[in-house]
Amino acid sequence: MPSAPDLSAYRIAVEPYYRPVGDEIAVFEAAWRHRLPVMLKGPTGCGKTRFVEYMAWRLGRPLITVAAHEDMTAADLAGRFLLTPEGTVWHDGPLTQAVRHGAICYLDEIVEARQDTTVVIHPLTDARRMLPLEKRNELIPAHADFQLVISYNPGYQSAVKDLKESTKQRFVAIDFDYPAPALEAEIVMREAGADLALARTLVAIAACSRNLRGQGLDEGASTRMLIHTGRLAAGGVSLEAAVHAGIVLPITDDADVRQALGSAISACLV
Amino acid sequence: MSELLDRATPALDRLGRLMEARATLAARFEETRASLARRHGAPALEPWAAGTLALVDVNAGAGVLLAFWRASLELAPRLDPDDLAAMAHGAAALCREAGSAATVAALDAFAGLEPRLTGAEGRAMWWRALARLGQVTPDCVELVAAQAHRLVVPGHAMEFEGFIEAGLRATGRDRARRRAFFALEDPLALTLLARIGAGPGFDEMEAELRMVLAALWDTRPELQPLPPAGPDMPRRVNIAGPVLRLPAVFPGMEGEGARRLYLAATLHAGAHLHFGNPRFPVRKFRPVQIALATLVEDARIEALAMRRFPGLRRLWGAYHVATPEDGPTVAALLRRVARGLFDPAYADPDALVGKAQTLFRAARDRIEDPAMSLDIGTRLANDVGQRRIRFDALGHVAEPAYRDDGLGIWDFSEIDPEVSDDVQMMVEAARPTPQEADDAAPQDGPPGEAPEPVGRARPARGPDEGVIVAAYPEWDAGAGIERADWTSVREMPAAAGEVRPLLRALERAAALRGRVARLVKAAKVGRAARLKRQAEGHDLDIDAVIEAAIATRAGEMPDLRVFRSSARLQRDLAVLVLVDVSHSTRERLADGASVLDVERLAVAMLAEALEKLGDDFALLAFASSGRGDVRVTPVKSFAEPYDAAALARLAGLQAGLSTRLGAALRHAGAQIARVRAFRKLVLVLTDGEPSDIDVAAGDLVQDARRVVLQLRAQGIDTFGVTLDPAGVGSAPAIFGKTNAMPVRRVEDLPERLSELYFRLARR
Ligand SMILES: Nc1ncnc2c1ncn2[C@@H]1O[C@H](COP(=O)(O)OP(=O)(O)OP(=O)(O)O)[C@@H](O)[C@H]1O
Ligand SMILES: [Mg+2]
Repeated sequence: MPSAPDLSAYRIAVEPYYRPVGDEIAVFEAAWRHRLPVMLKGPTGCGKTRFVEYMAWRLGRPLITVAAHEDMTAADLAGRFLLTPEGTVWHDGPLTQAVRHGAICYLDEIVEARQDTTVVIHPLTDARRMLPLEKRNELIPAHADFQLVISYNPGYQSAVKDLKESTKQRFVAIDFDYPAPALEAEIVMREAGADLALARTLVAIAACSRNLRGQGLDEGASTRMLIHTGRLAAGGVSLEAAVHAGIVLPITDDADVRQALGSAISACLV
Repeated sequence: MSELLDRATPALDRLGRLMEARATLAARFEETRASLARRHGAPALEPWAAGTLALVDVNAGAGVLLAFWRASLELAPRLDPDDLAAMAHGAAALCREAGSAATVAALDAFAGLEPRLTGAEGRAMWWRALARLGQVTPDCVELVAAQAHRLVVPGHAMEFEGFIEAGLRATGRDRARRRAFFALEDPLALTLLARIGAGPGFDEMEAELRMVLAALWDTRPELQPLPPAGPDMPRRVNIAGPVLRLPAVFPGMEGEGARRLYLAATLHAGAHLHFGNPRFPVRKFRPVQIALATLVEDARIEALAMRRFPGLRRLWGAYHVATPEDGPTVAALLRRVARGLFDPAYADPDALVGKAQTLFRAARDRIEDPAMSLDIGTRLANDVGQRRIRFDALGHVAEPAYRDDGLGIWDFSEIDPEVSDDVQMMVEAARPTPQEADDAAPQDGPPGEAPEPVGRARPARGPDEGVIVAAYPEWDAGAGIERADWTSVREMPAAAGEVRPLLRALERAAALRGRVARLVKAAKVGRAARLKRQAEGHDLDIDAVIEAAIATRAGEMPDLRVFRSSARLQRDLAVLVLVDVSHSTRERLADGASVLDVERLAVAMLAEALEKLGDDFALLAFASSGRGDVRVTPVKSFAEPYDAAALARLAGLQAGLSTRLGAALRHAGAQIARVRAFRKLVLVLTDGEPSDIDVAAGDLVQDARRVVLQLRAQGIDTFGVTLDPAGVGSAPAIFGKTNAMPVRRVEDLPERLSELYFRLARR
């Protein structure tokens, strides 16, 4: 049998800072009560990861996070045999660990994974709540406290990369977007150590860039970007330079878009 | 042989003897010769004399010789005899094309402008440009000479030649338009003139302005260029409902200065749109009241805008530079009022400015309400009225230059007769002239009585154009036989069209383009295949390694293919897009675009994607007029790059004639058959049924079906994207159910075409 469950490393000891934006906490708690799988939809850097961390802390559950990527196989999630001097030993993958011992498993950017990998979660996310381990010939019933959470950025959605309908329809969804200006400024102040004026300016710049979504930019500046930029500026870099390094350069390579974004930013700066 | 014609005799001697015989000229010649000789010494005059003889040789006439000597004397302090000779040779060449009167005018203008032409290169350019003009349209040379002081701009003289060239190209064979152009009476001519020594202009700025408006004001108004009103007349932005019309160019503004002015003007107009465009009814207001209320309204929306975007104060503030030193006119005073309203810290000795500032400050609480502008504006106007200084309604221009003309906030539908003359005058002075509407007409609209433009591809006319490149059989359904060599295909040379409307359409479709770009990205990266259990690779295949180790320990033969690698799946695909440009594609949609416009946009978007993907592709347009005259216009062949020239050819496609689909398909098939690719696709873009003047439509459907099947047997897949609002077309009968994609709404065409391609390319 596998070694004794020790998920203490995955426990979140200190309350993560999370500023609620709507009724997301109530919805998540309701889903948790019924152990319904949850899908967090929203653009990059808007607080999805932070929210899951906060909920794991609040519910007192360990949190196992897996960042999905193209090359991820089912074995990377479920586990595989490894060799030791004594012989072959089965090693639980992160998903299996969570299933056995009752953690919240957070699959970040699930669309990135290939569809044949994604289907591993299907039996876990319907009435069965089981994880079949083919290699070991084992069927693990999920721990009573196991919950699956995935994140999903609809902005990337395209005919080529999208979740299968049968995957999508297994989840309760919570919609995330960038917080309203006042809230977002509050978050930036707190996370970047910025003053109110700086935070407001950054939020105004973000609003401009978000207006260019689909008109030059694939995505506007995220809350995460504002925090990074705020840290640079609060740390003594001039605001122009911080905005250039933290927002303009990362967000686009197109010279015309940079020019236009630069004009908009200059209008935001005192 | 006469000594006069003997080339061995020095030119000066020959010329001297020649002139002795001409009573009218002798004195002036001698005078000029003597003066030049004093300056340069007689021996140096040889080339100058040769130049004069060149004029004599072309029968230039006395007037030209006199003009040349006049110019020689005038320019002698600056030019040496060699340069003067060059002038004579230039004039002689012009004279041969355009005659004496034009040459006299050109010489006189040259004498006046020479310093601006800066050097031998500039002078040569002048004569070259005029000779070229004279060659095409001799009657316009004098017109140009008369306007030369406008056209040869100090520091930008070389742009003169470009102006002439552009005029010739734009006006084609339309004599009246040509004369209007070179007399600087044509809007396009004025625009191009304003561009000399100025820029970037509207065309270069449009994309950026569109983005900045979206970013700051979250608004996406239609932007249109406004040609200059006349030489030396300032232009202002005009707001017409949701349409912003911006000067095509700000004359005299160059580089960063021009860019900032466009930004300032556009963001000011954007603020009007954002904070409410009130449409004050004019009724009884007098021009001065209108002008002042407009000023206050400008200040109101700017104050609101700067609350939100403090950096705009820097942008706009740079233009508020009026001071009491500017003079005592009402116009100057209004500029100071504008400055005072913009900048509360500005202090002006005139009480009107202070009063404006006080009233404006007191209205702070109602700043969201446009009515305050009317209140304050009328009170200020009363003060101006009491001073009995004249307000020049006709000459009134909004200041500073970034402000709009102010007409957008007024409703002129009800004007009290008492004030109507004055107001009318003011409006007329500011209003964009009506003739500009014509200029904005879509490029392929029916040109009315105007003759055919030159240099455009017109697959629709002139059977003597083009070359017959192939003959194909056709299926005669009635007789049940295939008739050999029944159709001839003529390749029509494609010519460049105006790309701007197409570029604009592409820009407007930014959202869709973004989606297509993502598909491209995905199609590129998504094609990497992961290969497991390889004999070599960059990574261990952990599962294979473990199995191998287990096998080793169990004493079995391990499988040594324990690596992972990835390989890019080779995309090996060629596609030919066949575009129907038959008469029916002229049909206009609600927004004024024609079906052909939409087809062009669809093809341009797909081409963009194909180019990025690196797929081999060709673009071919077709139309027909009977079996002997099936016309194909190659926009881009397989070997060619998709570049600006290809885009211009796409833009230059013209609609006309019928749709003999089968013949066009055979030709497309023959072309793609020659390309080496694993997969070959022909995509047909058509707006309806096959038809032609000499055959029943049903027969053409059957013929086309036959070609599709034959191509499939050759490994070429054919797909039809057809505009079919009613969903009753014969596309399924031609292409087969799965290969036909009827499009219900023309507007959806670009999206459907790209979608179809990505669906096909993935298989
Ligand atoms: N509501 C919020 N309360 C507190 N912090 C927030 C909130 N929203 C965003 N943040 C801040 O934004 C940063 C980025 O958020 P997070 O990493 O959760 O983004 P994400 O949505 O998971 O992005 P991605 O999809 O790229 O993973 C966080 O580190 C946090 O500092
Ligand atoms: Mg995240």
